Amino acid sequence: MSARPVAGLPERQGPDSAFEPGTLERERSALQPPRLTARQRPALALLALLTFVGLLVLVRQLAATPWIDAQWRADAGGAVVLQSSPLPALAALDGLSLASVSNAQGDTVIPDALVLHGLPRWQVSDALRQSQVGQQQSLAALLGQGQVQLNWRDGSAVTLQPTARGVAGLGVPFFVVAALALTLAALGVSALLARPQLRNLLYLLMCLGQAAQLLFVATGTLPGLGAWPRSGAGAGAVLGPLALDALTAAAAVHALVLHPRRQAHAGWWGAGVWLLALVWWCLAWLAPPPGVWWWAQAVALAAAATCWWLARHSYRSEPNPFALVVQHLAGLVGCGLLVVTALVALASMRPETAGPAAALGAWAWTLLPGALLLLAPFASRSRQVLRDGALLAGAAAIAAAIHLVFMASTSLGFTNSLLLAAALGVLVFALARRWARATTMGRHALDAEFTFEQLYRAARDVQMQPGRYSQLLGRLLQDMFEPCEVLEARRELRQARVVGGGAALEVPLRGSSRRAPGQTSPMLVLRYARGGQRLFTDDDARLADRLVEQLRRAVAYDRAVERGRSEERQRIAQDLHDDIGARLLTLMYQAQTPAMEEYIRLTLKDLKTLTRGLAAGDHRLSHAAAEWKADLTQRLAAAQVQPVWDFTHDRDVPLTMVQWSALTRVLRELVSNVLQHAQASSVSIQISLEGPILLLHVADDGRGRAPETWAHGLGLGGVRKRIKLIGGEVAWRENEPHGIVCEIRVTDFGGLG
Amino acid sequence: MTVKVMILEDNPVARSFLCRVVRESFTDANHITEAGDLQSARKHIALTGGAQGLHGTDPFKLILVDLELPDGNGMELLAELRRYPATKIVTTLYSDDEHLFPALQCGADGYLLKEDRFEVLVEELQKIVRGQPPLSPAIARRLLAHFRHGPGSGDWQAPDSGFVTTSGFTTSRPVPMEMAPETERLTPRETEVLTFLSKGFTIKEIASLMGIKWFTVNDHIKSIYKKLNVSSRAEAAVLASKQGLV
Repeated sequence: MSARPVAGLPERQGPDSAFEPGTLERERSALQPPRLTARQRPALALLALLTFVGLLVLVRQLAATPWIDAQWRADAGGAVVLQSSPLPALAALDGLSLASVSNAQGDTVIPDALVLHGLPRWQVSDALRQSQVGQQQSLAALLGQGQVQLNWRDGSAVTLQPTARGVAGLGVPFFVVAALALTLAALGVSALLARPQLRNLLYLLMCLGQAAQLLFVATGTLPGLGAWPRSGAGAGAVLGPLALDALTAAAAVHALVLHPRRQAHAGWWGAGVWLLALVWWCLAWLAPPPGVWWWAQAVALAAAATCWWLARHSYRSEPNPFALVVQHLAGLVGCGLLVVTALVALASMRPETAGPAAALGAWAWTLLPGALLLLAPFASRSRQVLRDGALLAGAAAIAAAIHLVFMASTSLGFTNSLLLAAALGVLVFALARRWARATTMGRHALDAEFTFEQLYRAARDVQMQPGRYSQLLGRLLQDMFEPCEVLEARRELRQARVVGGGAALEVPLRGSSRRAPGQTSPMLVLRYARGGQRLFTDDDARLADRLVEQLRRAVAYDRAVERGRSEERQRIAQDLHDDIGARLLTLMYQAQTPAMEEYIRLTLKDLKTLTRGLAAGDHRLSHAAAEWKADLTQRLAAAQVQPVWDFTHDRDVPLTMVQWSALTRVLRELVSNVLQHAQASSVSIQISLEGPILLLHVADDGRGRAPETWAHGLGLGGVRKRIKLIGGEVAWRENEPHGIVCEIRVTDFGGLG
Repeated sequence: MTVKVMILEDNPVARSFLCRVVRESFTDANHITEAGDLQSARKHIALTGGAQGLHGTDPFKLILVDLELPDGNGMELLAELRRYPATKIVTTLYSDDEHLFPALQCGADGYLLKEDRFEVLVEELQKIVRGQPPLSPAIARRLLAHFRHGPGSGDWQAPDSGFVTTSGFTTSRPVPMEMAPETERLTPRETEVLTFLSKGFTIKEIASLMGIKWFTVNDHIKSIYKKLNVSSRAEAAVLASKQGLV
């Protein structure tokens, strides 16, 4: 199936104008909701089940960890203070500071505020991180060995038996996050199943990475003491998230090297990126450099910057809305990560903000990319989804940042500053939405008025020139969508549809209802809306369908009206001809004198000219001239008058009914006049069409003289009337040496033709 | 020997007029049968041995068929009488090709226009019987198109406003795979004659333009008529076999 540019439309030079719509079908981008066949759905279900089972195992393990059911907080001095507890032993001890935790064997752990925040990966300072990890590990070991004793600052002590956490102890947020992680994993898996490609594999890796990160963060923020249960897993609490970060970053950069446009040496770039990620992780594991946290953040930010740069480079080389979308997404992610990094770094300087800052930072760090990964396949569904999703993520990030700032700089409590930040976030979101809608609309706001105007103009043009239907429709679609390229192809298509995940829009023309069987209908393919800045969405496809439908209706209506009119004309013509014509014929047969017979004969001929003009559609000048020649020369020859015929024309215009019948009758009348009165021996008829001017000369060498003195009877008066009707002038003058010349001149003849 | 003539015409005044024309044209046309509608015409035909041509009895030598009849179209009779060994002439008030060409395809050997004068009718009638049928420019154009695109094209309409782009006169319809043998093609001379006719030249002018004799031109026209009959018959056969009637 080949496509070629539509003739008549302004062609924008794309780099590959040998564009095959088939390639779009084959190269479906990863930015597309995966559709699975019936065979693949069981595979997806199986994998989802496996993931679910894995999650259940995790939940069971977590639920089995021993803990002490109490809420703690950190005070200004960095000590751990009991906030509340449902346990009867701790019921009345709210507000006491914890000095140490010990067990029967005498092992003691002195916890400080660090231990409350189970996210060592987000601890900025190396020393503090190691202390935190050590504390958590020993605390977990302690709790796992049986009875523990809580020693308070004021000297008292409480002995408790740590119980299993239980599923209820995990808290609702954990399960919400787990569900989110599961969704993300399922999306990645189904994308890979739908189309096994390297791109989709990378997408799956990114999804899995983010899902695992989410679970890490979720387990890290479980309430109570003794977060990460397994001893020896302390290092894993840092290395795990780092590895996932590296994995996601490498997969993202590799994916962008491949899509939307495969860069040169993509294989080498991909291998290089993965190698870098591996090196970094081994380094972090075996020989961690000082300031690991900074290094981790720097690596992630560098990855985001690389993604942004790759997308921009791809867009520059070829305007591609995918590249633009990815560029915006990468920019958003990069800015978000930068903000989070800055805020966490700032907040870590004060102990009371360090914990919440770390927690918020962790959530933002994982939720932002995770949400964008979830949104990415559905971006082409609707303009709204991508835009609103991105704006929402941005607003949430800004709200979190404001919340941190408030907590750090003012004396508002946690809840108050959170509420205030949320309110501000909502405000920012609303404002940004309006701004985004205004700026991403393109040059013309695609509102109802513009659409209507374009459609109306197109419908009017189509009614005037129905033969140019495809071109006018193409022009209308071009005005509405401003594509980079418009191509024509042939395929059976019932509805407009978006292909290539938004890269192109296929619109069936559906112009003619008469189509030879076996011949596919034409369709237009528009590529890359808004000069390469926007993706086509399903809304656009529906709009295109409606445009085509409206145009078709306008044309069909026009055709029906025209057909009705033409049928009516034919009926009238037939009636006239058969009825009146037959009667005139009878009258002619019964004429008393030859003169009367001739008169009736001419009347009959005029009637036939009239009815034929009514009934028939197309009279070309050359055909009409041929008939005039045959008829008139026969009449003249029958009357023994020498006919001389001369007809020249520079183009073969179609005559309107008025023109044809007027000229036929005028010629007939003039020749009749000559035959009746002139007694000529030869008659010369000259017809010429040059440009818009038609000239008609009928000259005889008979005995007519002084035409200006003639009293024009019915015949010649009719000639004058008809010539005036077609916008011409007629004049009679004397011919040399004798005879009369009738000169007819019509300017702007065929001007409407 | 009696030369039998049948005149099928519903208008009695026109019928008697045509009788006068026939008597004036041929000295030996001494038995003229008049019919007012298709039914009586068919009865007369049956009396002479039927339409299929088993003519033990004396068949008609000349049949004038009016196209505008009260109980049908004269072309039906023409189609039935394809094999009938008579000169079949249509008479009609319509002079446009839209009405005349189908009649010619049905097997008419010529046409007369009822509006013409007596002398003109006599002359035309004699010419047709002699084998020099008339050809108006419009009919010549139709013939050119008909033969250019093969016997499969048949009737056509010139679409003037359609979304299907057309070139020239015809829509591209599928042509039958079995093309009719070469006798249905026009020779280059015949095409030349038709082209001149379509431009409105008279036979005398064509003869002088082509440098041939006057009656050679007529021979060409006669052969064109015959080919039209054959190709129309072939087309009818193809259509009939397609519909499973044969």
